[in-house]
Amino acid sequence: MSDLTLLDVGKLDDATRSALRRLILTLADSKRLMGIRYSDWLLGSPSIETGIAASSMAQDEWGHARLLYAMLKDLGEDPVVVEHERPAKAYASVDPLDAPFPDWAAVVAGMTVVDVALAVALDACAHGCFEPATTRVPKMCAEEEFHRSLAFAWYRRLAASRSDEARGLLRAATEAMLPATLAWLGADDAAARALVDAGVTQSGAELSASFRDAVGDVLRTGSVDVDAMAPATAWDAARARGPGHPDEEAVERARGDRNRMLFVE
Amino acid sequence: MREYVYDVFARKSRGDQLAHIGYVDALDDETARVYAWKTYDEENWFEMCVVRRSDIIPVNRDDGPFSRGREEGR
Repeated sequence: MSDLTLLDVGKLDDATRSALRRLILTLADSKRLMGIRYSDWLLGSPSIETGIAASSMAQDEWGHARLLYAMLKDLGEDPVVVEHERPAKAYASVDPLDAPFPDWAAVVAGMTVVDVALAVALDACAHGCFEPATTRVPKMCAEEEFHRSLAFAWYRRLAASRSDEARGLLRAATEAMLPATLAWLGADDAAARALVDAGVTQSGAELSASFRDAVGDVLRTGSVDVDAMAPATAWDAARARGPGHPDEEAVERARGDRNRMLFVE
Repeated sequence: MREYVYDVFARKSRGDQLAHIGYVDALDDETARVYAWKTYDEENWFEMCVVRRSDIIPVNRDDGPFSRGREEGR
């Protein structure tokens, strides 16, 4: 990072402003989708306690998303429009959240890979020079510590399972999520470099290294070597992700389409 | 997958007595921490801790829930 002088958003050039918007959106959309994917497991998770934890984490993620969307105000953008009027193909959430997690092993892989990657990215922002992130993100990071604890405990437990199926599902889900997650976190395109130059966040290489350090040991228990995994190559620079998008049903839920007409302001 | 009973204790303020507020079933110490924090979140606790029920040593009774947890190893 260049220095710790707080960013003067009003003086940003267009490219850096656009890059900052992309970063905020990718974090906010990912949090919004992560909350939806957790909410699918309020019922049907392995125990009542796990369902309560999933419920609580869904609330955490939606709270984080709301705070992140609100940061768009600093860029002169109306967060309400962004939250409620975009089509699925405009979402910048990370690729592994495009579809529901099909089983509990995928939830655990998602907690371990995607949620930790998001936490690494947020932590870097908390130590950068974009003031709204420095003040609002530390509480998010504190909440994410509990997500990480649950993720790692469950990951180790499933990885040590006597069930070949459980171990196989966990490994397959993990290996399916890692390439796109590594591509997002390790992005080194012009927008990513602009944010590093501005001091908003760390470089893709630094973020990737932090992520590999964070999850390397636990993934190894599931026979996954994160250092051997390559980032995905398909890249949509406008949204900092691959070319797909979340399923329409999830985005309708995110926007609140069905009951929006009942909303009285 | 074996679970254990963890008793949850908490206090609202620094000077309060630590009170037994409930229990959770958990795989291990780490999941017990998270389940307790996420389940008993109706208060802004100053301090919360969990202890595996089988680790509690009964002092004057052998027919209470804590004693039974010790006997059952959970």
